Amino acid sequence: MKTNPFGLIRNRKALVGVGIIAFILLVAIAAPLLTPYDPGARVGRPHQAPSLAHWLGTTRIGQDVFTRLIYGARTSLAVGFGAGLLITIVGTALGILAGYRGGKVDEVISFFTNMVLVVPNLPLLLVLAAFIGQASPWVIALILGGTSWAWGARVTRAETLSVKQKDYVKSAEMMGEPRWRIMTFEIFPNLISIVGINFIGSVIFAIITQATLEFLGLGDPKVVSWGTMLYAAQKASALSVGAWWDILTPCFALAFLGIGLSLLNFAVDEIANPRLRTGNRLGGWSALIRSGEGRL
Amino acid sequence: MAFLLRRLCFYLAAFVAAATINFFLPRLMPGDPVQIMFSSAGAELPPESLQALKLTFGFVDGPLWQQYLTYLGSIFSGDLGRSIKYFPLPVSTVLGNALVWTVGLMGTATIISFTLGTFLGILAAWRRGSLFDVIVSVGAIFATSVPAVVTSLIVVFFFGFTLNWFPTGYAADPALDPAFTLQYIGSVLYHGLLPMLTLCTVLTGGFAVTMRNNMINLLGEDYIVMARAKGLSDGHVMLWYAARNALLPTVSSLAIAIGTVLGGSLVTEVVFNYPGLGNILYQAILARDYPVIQGQLLIMTATMLVANFIVDVSYVLLDPRLKKA
Repeated sequence: MKTNPFGLIRNRKALVGVGIIAFILLVAIAAPLLTPYDPGARVGRPHQAPSLAHWLGTTRIGQDVFTRLIYGARTSLAVGFGAGLLITIVGTALGILAGYRGGKVDEVISFFTNMVLVVPNLPLLLVLAAFIGQASPWVIALILGGTSWAWGARVTRAETLSVKQKDYVKSAEMMGEPRWRIMTFEIFPNLISIVGINFIGSVIFAIITQATLEFLGLGDPKVVSWGTMLYAAQKASALSVGAWWDILTPCFALAFLGIGLSLLNFAVDEIANPRLRTGNRLGGWSALIRSGEGRL
Repeated sequence: MAFLLRRLCFYLAAFVAAATINFFLPRLMPGDPVQIMFSSAGAELPPESLQALKLTFGFVDGPLWQQYLTYLGSIFSGDLGRSIKYFPLPVSTVLGNALVWTVGLMGTATIISFTLGTFLGILAAWRRGSLFDVIVSVGAIFATSVPAVVTSLIVVFFFGFTLNWFPTGYAADPALDPAFTLQYIGSVLYHGLLPMLTLCTVLTGGFAVTMRNNMINLLGEDYIVMARAKGLSDGHVMLWYAARNALLPTVSSLAIAIGTVLGGSLVTEVVFNYPGLGNILYQAILARDYPVIQGQLLIMTATMLVANFIVDVSYVLLDPRLKKA
């Protein structure tokens, strides 16, 4: 189906996905230029409907919703990509190690991986965050990295098992290359599509989970992010008093970003996996399943 | 049998791991763990109750391993301590009452979305590339990439607050007494419909995609070609040759999805103000009621492990090869 090597540019899904993410990223970076207000400051009367002065209305305590939205994008993106990177590094390292070394090392890592997979993730995160108390975005990113690597490790291990049978790995072993070198320079580059999909899936998971934890009141309410916006709006009963702009704004932003990342994930899988290029589209769905499994 | 026994041992280990996290977490935090665990109790708790609570959570004089064994002992005898917010109710009672609603909501939603998703997946794979396939596939992308909390809030806004079609809180009309009457059951269904629909929206796409993926993998197999060559009807080949075999990996992915379902039902309950575990937990977090917060991890883990075990058993039933192994 897709035979051109510059697939990422030609692939429509990738284009739309990258476009959405780039748009949000640009808005987040340019936030101070786009709004005259301070995200924490009281700049209007409480719960004003959208108007020319306040494009998306104001919150219960009179903060500008649009300003909070574009500043909040910074936090949500930073935590999403930070935690996603952490999850991917841990998962990939453990997966390659278990798959390549085999034996006892594999047994120990696989046992822990399976254990982490059956302990429900969100309840575990809730307990951790509750004890830490008003967790800052970076703390949330750290605990996400520490608890959510298992799926990536399992997938990477399975792929490593097939890559390590390849001739070039065997010949590197014959030449007496050290194990770490084989793992980093022979095996890792051949797993890059799996790693990429794992990374995007983890970013989606991290953004959703951070928003969920903050929505449940476990984040630091002073931080401006899409999760704390949801929390504050819910606490101010925005829906029952009819201030829909207060709560639906972060909702649609999260949905928009989630769709953008999923499209990109889907496209990367379609392009990076040669089997999909010549065959049917089926493998593209594995990316979606992966991103679907992490969701809450 | 050996397979199931091995799984059981593994689940036991996983449960002990969850309990171990509970045990060490307050002790790893800076400061006095007793102070951290029971800070919200204040002066409201009588001293002898506080003493009993400390004992349950393993705060006894002695080395760490002795404290650990005391804590494991109280958990395996079913004592999860008492709730501070709902004192003097035991944590197990508070969570047990809520668990009924959560399992009801979650179970119904899982069964509906699994069945619906599987059928959509079968049809989409069978007519790969058709308009139907495109609609299912694109729909699944959208449904699975939006967080459950967002879906819940949007649904509750439109159907609950704007259109006023459905109630936006409680599991049943609070004016009614719980009883096996038509009126009460009707009220429960009416109140549960919206959160359940939300959960189904969130879950169906994932199941459809998994099934579609597995189906397409199988459609090239020789026995499918053979069945077609024999002149069997399309529907027969689709359901009894392809779907039947594609169902196996789908069932195993169900086991992993259960954790997702649990998490999704937690936030959905908070948004819909539904009296399940999620809502209890939300209240406990606001009140810093640590015995309840810790208890929910154990109960959720246990629920997840039981669900996994059910999936294991059905896997053995579906796949005759495992019975011999």
